[in-house]
Amino acid sequence: MTRQTQPEPCAPEHVTFELNGDVISQWVSPATTLLDILRGSGRITSARAGCRIGRCGACTVLLNGQAVPGCLVMAWQVSGCTVETAEGLAEASDFAQVRDALATESALQCGYCTPGVAVSLVSGLRQQQNGDVVDLEEAVAGNLCRCTGYGGLKRAIAVLTETSSET
Amino acid sequence: MELKPQPGMAETSVLERIEGRFGYATDQQHLPGLLHGAILRSRHAHARLLRVDTSRARLMSGVRAVVTAADVPGLNRLGIVVRDQPVLCEDRVRYEGDAIAAVAADTVEQARAALEVIDVDYAPLAVVDQAETAEQMSPLHGESNLLAREAFERGDTDAAFARCAVIVEHHYQTPRQMHAFMETEGGVAIPDNNGGVIFRVGCQSGHRDAEQLADILGLKPSQVTVEATPTGGAFGGKDELTIQPAAGILALQTGSPVLIHLDRFESCRTGIKRHPVSMIMTTGCDRQGRILAHRVDALLDTGAYASLGPAVLENFLDHATAPLYRIEAYSVSGRLVYTNNGVSGAFRGFGGNQATFAVESQLDALAEKLAMCPLALRRINLRTVDEPGSRGQVVRWSAPPTDVLAEAGASPLWAPAVSDARRRWLTGTGMAMGAQGNGLGDGLPDRGGGRVSLSAEGRIRLEFGFSDYGQNLAEAITCLVCETLGCVAGDIDVVLGNSRGPDSGPTSASRSSVLIHGVLADILPRWKDRVRDQAAVLTGLPCDQLYSGPGGLFAGGRQVLSYRELAEKGQPEQTRVDASQAFPVAPEGNQLVGRYLQLQIATVARVAVDRLTGRVRVTDLHHITAAGRVIYPPGYLGQIEGAAIMGLGMALSEDMPTRQGRYLADNLDQYIIPTLQDVPDQRVDVLDNTPTTDRFPVRGVGELGIEAVAPAICSAIEAATGIRVRHLPVDAGYLLAELCAQEETCS
Amino acid sequence: MSDPLSELNPVTERRAIRVLRPDSPSEAVSLARRFKVPYMAGGTWLQPTHERDQCWPEKLVALNAAWPAFRGLEDDSRGLTVGALTSLSEMARHPLVREYLPPLALFLNRVAGPGVRALGTVGGNLAVGGDLSALAMALDVRVDVLNRTGERTLPLSRWLRERASDDLLRGFTIPDCRGWRISLEKLGYRERFSPTRATLVCVHDGDRVRLAVCGEGGLLRLVAPETFVNDRADLASGDVGAVIDRELAAHGWQDAHLRMALRRMTTGLLSEVALGT
Ligand SMILES: Cc1cc2nc3c(=O)[nH]c(=O)nc-3n(C[C@H](O)[C@H](O)[C@H](O)COP(=O)(O)OP(=O)(O)OC[C@H]3O[C@@H](n4cnc5c(N)ncnc54)[C@H](O)[C@@H]3O)c2cc1C
Repeated sequence: MTRQTQPEPCAPEHVTFELNGDVISQWVSPATTLLDILRGSGRITSARAGCRIGRCGACTVLLNGQAVPGCLVMAWQVSGCTVETAEGLAEASDFAQVRDALATESALQCGYCTPGVAVSLVSGLRQQQNGDVVDLEEAVAGNLCRCTGYGGLKRAIAVLTETSSET
Repeated sequence: MELKPQPGMAETSVLERIEGRFGYATDQQHLPGLLHGAILRSRHAHARLLRVDTSRARLMSGVRAVVTAADVPGLNRLGIVVRDQPVLCEDRVRYEGDAIAAVAADTVEQARAALEVIDVDYAPLAVVDQAETAEQMSPLHGESNLLAREAFERGDTDAAFARCAVIVEHHYQTPRQMHAFMETEGGVAIPDNNGGVIFRVGCQSGHRDAEQLADILGLKPSQVTVEATPTGGAFGGKDELTIQPAAGILALQTGSPVLIHLDRFESCRTGIKRHPVSMIMTTGCDRQGRILAHRVDALLDTGAYASLGPAVLENFLDHATAPLYRIEAYSVSGRLVYTNNGVSGAFRGFGGNQATFAVESQLDALAEKLAMCPLALRRINLRTVDEPGSRGQVVRWSAPPTDVLAEAGASPLWAPAVSDARRRWLTGTGMAMGAQGNGLGDGLPDRGGGRVSLSAEGRIRLEFGFSDYGQNLAEAITCLVCETLGCVAGDIDVVLGNSRGPDSGPTSASRSSVLIHGVLADILPRWKDRVRDQAAVLTGLPCDQLYSGPGGLFAGGRQVLSYRELAEKGQPEQTRVDASQAFPVAPEGNQLVGRYLQLQIATVARVAVDRLTGRVRVTDLHHITAAGRVIYPPGYLGQIEGAAIMGLGMALSEDMPTRQGRYLADNLDQYIIPTLQDVPDQRVDVLDNTPTTDRFPVRGVGELGIEAVAPAICSAIEAATGIRVRHLPVDAGYLLAELCAQEETCS
Repeated sequence: MSDPLSELNPVTERRAIRVLRPDSPSEAVSLARRFKVPYMAGGTWLQPTHERDQCWPEKLVALNAAWPAFRGLEDDSRGLTVGALTSLSEMARHPLVREYLPPLALFLNRVAGPGVRALGTVGGNLAVGGDLSALAMALDVRVDVLNRTGERTLPLSRWLRERASDDLLRGFTIPDCRGWRISLEKLGYRERFSPTRATLVCVHDGDRVRLAVCGEGGLLRLVAPETFVNDRADLASGDVGAVIDRELAAHGWQDAHLRMALRRMTTGLLSEVALGT
């Protein structure tokens, strides 16, 4: 493709969604990524641009309860949706369960990928609650971690799997 | 002893990391007046720069500054060893990541849009894209593309080969691996309103970076501060300056803080990689398997700039001498050449693991020729703890190498794996060993310091210059301090990576743990004395009855003064103790070559090879380490496991090939690192015979885990299939073709 | 995977992209036609493709999963009908999938990652020759397509050959394949979350074997190998390898090692469907 002169930016649209329990209402151009909206909001640092093409999982957030890469969701798609990030989930009991497992099993080193991993695990646990058969290791298949070699994460998942099969 | 997973410290920082509230360098998006910077990279791998016209860019909306080479206030060069890389290129670009101009604007989009309208005229030059022929091409720098040539010799190699009963010679190739840290390069430069600049960036050596930045910015050293913020992974890839020079120049020009955060595409294109090595190894032994002679001829592609290339070459050659084994004569040489293939430099293992891959493969080849068990061959050649190192230097092991080997021999992984019903997967077990030294080595200046003090709030504050990129340094420090002072984690604050604080030297070469242990052993007793003296005055109790404990000072089993009270009523500033020490090297009178503190690892790998496709699954890894005392078990385990999986990636999928000097992968869909489902179960056993009185009981294990993984995997592949792979990453297609050829000859 | 629609009116910033949101499928078709711009379903293929070269179509036509018959699974006498805007993860979870395509749910673990599957649609996957296209090809699915001339139902293979830029996929129908034996296998660069090198599908419909492949060399129904296998009594034996190799090589599968892997994978899958395991 040849590059051409830049046309005018598209007229911004009004986008309203719920972020971690608060209503967010703002003007953005419709193709802006959810990731950029979140980071631009000044409230969210847990979603991170690791690749911008859905390939690393560092920007994973819950969109209407499902874990998705925030870099692949466009602004126009989030109107009327609920978005939850690690910051907002911090108070939830299933997130706390995940957090404790990750911390005790030392499933992180630099921690940059970890909020995304935690959100994916919460999503997996919630799907299990809904009666779906979900393998938690599959739930994090889209989350890359470069520091740990996933040893601690595997152990944390074993702990979570044990507790969730008990309940 | 198997290192069982133990609960990690629930440090606040760990919880903050999980919740995403831990401030990384690139999280600072909301500083008042923040501008966003972007860097224009070369469109060519090699070209003359004829014209750089920024006039249109300056007129773009939101643009606050556009800078080129002419705007670099001081030295327009960077580089840890050789300052040969332009901050902003003047008249020539040497790789497609070379920086030509930088823009600061109100938003990232505006900064990027401005880059689009900077007009650059290039006159393309012949691209030096083959290391093999680089020396015949016109030079990228100076007189020749040969940046360094080094050789280690011992004895009469030709004569020793003449006496060998068996000689094996093979060509080996290792990949251009990418660090692929999850946080791409970034950070902010903030003008301090006094003409100076404060950097908050992801980096590996705040003090050294501050020195280089002062030169580049034309400032006095005192005018540059580097705060190494928590960093989302480094592995050597943030050892050189990355975005700091451009951010600093833009910050000075605009008087505003400037954030630069490379996206993954730019990071792949510009970032440093592991040196690809092409080498021929020839090794010979007598009929009993005693290695007599060893020759190595290696070629390392360092890319467009020197970076740490010469040091990598040295460490490569050190490992190429096969430091674990007694060899009568060797001749080990390597050449380091400039090409237009990006830039290679520091990466966990630092050239050593490339050499170990080949050395260990050679040992297996000898054993095969002699129809000998590869472990038995190793056993008769391993050094004892009393022998000098391979370069004649005094070395210090923490366990006898034969003990490490014996544990590897006893691994449960040697038991044959249960095969699948359809016999689709061929399984096999193999092993390799590796040695690794701590410290910069070779008698290079290598010191590091630290500080302890009581803060005004009554917390025991420990300061080191090391950067935190997830190696659990704070946890290790906390463990050691609690052990010595009897206090608890909650009493302690660890502050890392500020160039205004104590200089600990670079966070590299597996040197931090060693220095932290050494410095703490020095400063903590002194701190204890000072605190006790003050407490004696405040409480009226005799000094020798007072001791530090959880929350404060104790006498007779009872807390008599809290640290907080001590800070409020005493003179906390008087408790400050600084110390700096040289990295442990061989005792006086010895020649300082190679490294003194030595570590070992044996890795046993079990793999399954798919008969149908040639793909390889590593199903188990078992490591036996002899690397001194374990300070913080979860940290130790995590370092070994993490490094091993990096080695697994290097063995099976990771490479950054180039064509015409351009990298062929530009993001994580094309550059393939392991996912959770690609990694095996791992077990780590620790062998530690260091006496409690040892002065250097602690070693750094950040790099050890990667050392022997690739050769162990290839050894296991050979056990499964009879095919030895000597070019990494393992090409499934090649394996499959060989398997098919075997079947045809069999039937 | 290729996008025939991306060559038009590029812009270099996301900010400049206009997202058109038609109220109905027919309006979508006329917008796509009028402006010569692509449809966007989940956007998981479109975005990485354009993010890579920072060059975007000036406009996108957003598809709406609420349009009738565009989303969800239903079965009737014709077989199983799947709406194009059904997400990959909905598909994986659906009870009808367990009934009609038992191995698919597990197989989908190897298609992208969970986050991408939650967004990406099955229609988008077929449109770009993704992992599902080999399965759809082997099952002879019929697609339901709208364009300016109206609505048609036609075999997937024909649609892919004749596809016009404004063709809007509403869904596709899988014949009643309960009781058929289906095996699929994906060869990637790693165990999970990998672009496909080759995805191979083998179906035994009780009478004949069908084979299809997609990946590096493109989507292909392996017609000659099918004939070879079906005209022999014993499915598991006999060397179809040479036939497969020739067929693949003739249709753009350049990598000889990959063809070799496919020969062997095919033999493996054939014995699975033959043995009924
Ligand atoms: C990280 C990552 C990993 C991936 N891994 C895989 C993988 O393993 N296997 C795999 O197969 N794919 C993979 N993909 C590719 C792709 O995203 C999926 O195949 C997905 O199903 C595409 O659907 P979508 O709805 O997101 O398509 P979109 O991106 O919305 O559209 C893709 C193309 O199809 C056209 N299109 C979409 N819907 C229709 C319709 N209803 N009618 C007509 N045209 C239409 C669009 O115009 C566009 O040209 C991956 C993508 C990402 C980001």
